[in-house]
Amino acid sequence: MSAGLISGNENTVRFTLDPRTKLALVATVCTIMTSGRVGGIMTVIHPVLALVPFALLFLSGRVKDAASYLLAYAAAYSMISFVMPVTSGMISILIGATAGIIYRMMPSLITGYFVVSTTKVSEFNAAMERMHISGKITIPMSVMFRFFPTIKEESAAIKDAMHMRGINSLRNPMEMLEYRMVPLLMSVVKIGEELSISALTRGLSGDTKRTNICKIGFHLSDLLCFLLCIACWICFVLHVGGMI
Amino acid sequence: MIQLENVTFTYNGSEEKGNLKNISLSIRQGEVILLCGESGCGKTTLTRLINGLIPWYYEGELNGIVKVDGKEIREQPLHILSRKIGSVFQNPRSQFFNVDTTSEIAFSCENQGLPEDEIRERIHQTVSLFQIENLIDRNIFHLSGGEKQKIACASVSAGEPEIFVLDEPSSNLDVAAIEDLKHIISCWKSAGKTVIIAEHRLYYLMELADRIIYMQNGEIRREWTTADFLGLSQREVENLGLRPASLKQIYELHIEKSSGSGFYQLKQMDFAYKGEQQSLHIPAVNFTKGTAIAVIGKNGAGKSTFLRCLCGLEKRCSGEVQDNGKSYSLRKWAKNCYLVMQDVNHQLFTESVFDEIVLGADNTDTNKVEQVMERLDLISFRERHPMSLSGGQKQRVAIAGAIFSDKKMLLLDEPTSGLDFRHMEQVAELMQQLKQQGKTLLIVTHDPEFILKTCDNIIRIEDGTIAEQYSLDTAEMGKLLDFFHLY
Amino acid sequence: MNQQSSKLQAKDLITIGIFTAIYFVVFLACAMLGFIPVFLLAMTFYGPIITGIPFMLYLTKIKKFGMVTITAIICGILMFVFGMGYFTIFTALIFGLAADFILKAGNYTSKKNTTLAYAVYSIWFIGNYIPLYLTRESYFADLVSGYGQEYVDTLRAYTPGWMFLVLLAACFIGGLIGAALGKAVLKKHFVRAGIV
Repeated sequence: MSAGLISGNENTVRFTLDPRTKLALVATVCTIMTSGRVGGIMTVIHPVLALVPFALLFLSGRVKDAASYLLAYAAAYSMISFVMPVTSGMISILIGATAGIIYRMMPSLITGYFVVSTTKVSEFNAAMERMHISGKITIPMSVMFRFFPTIKEESAAIKDAMHMRGINSLRNPMEMLEYRMVPLLMSVVKIGEELSISALTRGLSGDTKRTNICKIGFHLSDLLCFLLCIACWICFVLHVGGMI
Repeated sequence: MIQLENVTFTYNGSEEKGNLKNISLSIRQGEVILLCGESGCGKTTLTRLINGLIPWYYEGELNGIVKVDGKEIREQPLHILSRKIGSVFQNPRSQFFNVDTTSEIAFSCENQGLPEDEIRERIHQTVSLFQIENLIDRNIFHLSGGEKQKIACASVSAGEPEIFVLDEPSSNLDVAAIEDLKHIISCWKSAGKTVIIAEHRLYYLMELADRIIYMQNGEIRREWTTADFLGLSQREVENLGLRPASLKQIYELHIEKSSGSGFYQLKQMDFAYKGEQQSLHIPAVNFTKGTAIAVIGKNGAGKSTFLRCLCGLEKRCSGEVQDNGKSYSLRKWAKNCYLVMQDVNHQLFTESVFDEIVLGADNTDTNKVEQVMERLDLISFRERHPMSLSGGQKQRVAIAGAIFSDKKMLLLDEPTSGLDFRHMEQVAELMQQLKQQGKTLLIVTHDPEFILKTCDNIIRIEDGTIAEQYSLDTAEMGKLLDFFHLY
Repeated sequence: MNQQSSKLQAKDLITIGIFTAIYFVVFLACAMLGFIPVFLLAMTFYGPIITGIPFMLYLTKIKKFGMVTITAIICGILMFVFGMGYFTIFTALIFGLAADFILKAGNYTSKKNTTLAYAVYSIWFIGNYIPLYLTRESYFADLVSGYGQEYVDTLRAYTPGWMFLVLLAACFIGGLIGAALGKAVLKKHFVRAGIV
């Protein structure tokens, strides 16, 4: 899994969606799945939306990930439908907690993860510019995505250093927190300053108009996704209105 | 092209370091200027004046006239200046904005608002000029330091500025990557661009620089043509606190070696990263006690992995170490090893030098701490916050911690990257001292000068195994010089 | 930047991105514990305490209106994208803005105001719990299908109506403590190291 906002893009992804389509999918899945509406048409909408992350993963060639998602979801579903009714007490609660998280949150989480991991920073910027979103949001966001891997690298190095000094016990959590956090902040601040300087001397400025070499645009697959989103929203609104 | 008249600059709230006094300098179009001098002499500050970071980013008091392209710098905001001046900095890890390489090369063009097709064309040109086709569409986090630096140069170059300003660009590069950097600068030179480089390593610029400017305490002290500079004796260059102008001069730097006695024997070291092809396999190797062993090899050969395995950071690495007839598993042996990281900031945790040294130790014998501080010249910093010290001092604090906890082997990853001559010499002296205390040193380094000053033995790693091992005497010297292309 | 503009410049926007990243990573690390039901609620308290350290450093780096709001919006969007519902976007916007106004009233320097602003800002997280109350019955009905009756009963028992106020107070008090912790760490390390 190496691609996108989280980690650049080295795999050539056969199946591509416009970043705006991905946003629409995220908005649809995350809103409707977490809206707390049940019954009626929602008994159809839920499984359909739960299949969205599977389809996305599968079509973009991550067959393994898609399969494990489907498996986890099916397992959670059957735990809830078949195992939970026959258990009680602590066991039921434990099953409920773990299976419930998978069942309720996984679809949104995986869709979100898919979008974040398959969108390049520059694609994201291009989409945001087309949607006339201010640089005040897009610049911090693109810096943030570039910074997640940096934080990971720095944090790993600090963890190693602590291990070597033999300070990885949990005797004093406050101290551990301090040792982990302070060097991390120090180095992140330093890297951040150097990044600012480098970006500014290459002409980044909050107000001038940028161009973007990323070719984004809508294709048939985007159209299909949008149709799905619209259909789900219509059902959802009608359901909220009490009609279905 | 660039004119400075009686320029004086003082950073806000800073000590003496890096401030400029009375600088007058004029640089013509197409010139390649090398700025040299010890750390803190003001050469970096001078580059910041030219690329506009002063006054637009760094705050301070600026007097005098700084003109770029005939216009006063104070009248040109940074994003305008950036079209005329491209800047490359020291740290390859921190100067990219995107995660993928192609977007990064396009970055400065995009900021200028150039049309898409033009940007594509420029990327294409830059990539073929620098011969970096293999770096296109890659994740920058997976590139080596040298490759990152090439992308940084390409990004700046695609913006087609007239002036290039480089601030210690070779600090974190190995010999091969420096050759590539040299190629890039020569491309700029032959395209008639103006190039200003502040640098410690001088040798790779001798064929390119037109003028060499020497700075000291914030002033321009000397100026040579390259031919004149090459005429200076090695002693004169050293007295100026500079690194040698030619790698061949390094030859004579060699000093007396310690022979050591007895050895630690490492056997059957095996390690593979999960899901990656790269692996480490070392059947047997001896480390002579009380000597310094340089670990050399190309980028990605497995040098860092080797160090990480030795000090127990890769838990899945197997192997054993024999000492005095006793055999230790690698995991147990790791307690005797301490790694001084390339970025020493990662390994300083506490609020004072004293606390840092005793951190993690069971006893805090004050006398012993003081002895260690004395030996490493840290006594006067006892209560200072480690992060407020200079780079070299931080390095000594990290080493002090290792000595206090009686580690037998010290592993050092690039201890001299980015250091000027005097600081490099200080580290070399420290290494001599550690050897005399009976410590065994394993040093991963790309710095041939430093090797010749400190190391007794060489281990060359290639493809995750030890390709050759030799002691650094006259008979074997050729191998080392060969590795660093010193002939 | 030399020009003492009160508008956010490119440099500030980059700094906002960096600190939002680190704030969010630390926050997420705290939230990982939240998968255990008890922590899910306790998170409102200990989360703000721990993130106080990066946040107090953040407040020393930029002193301009809008910084906290932008951080809040981004955090809200991220929570939404990762399946925590859409209410968080609104709470983030509201409490982020409120924090910015408090900071502005103190000229971004007053120590009291930075503490208060951080405590107020910390309440943004409450958005994740709003479905628990606002659409309580349908939320629980939905939860039953996912988590089972027993879990929902336990959760319901732990989250009576007044619990919402407790959570809110927990965020706020956690924020006050976090601000104090953050300032202590600043003083102990960053000031002495010459970084602030």
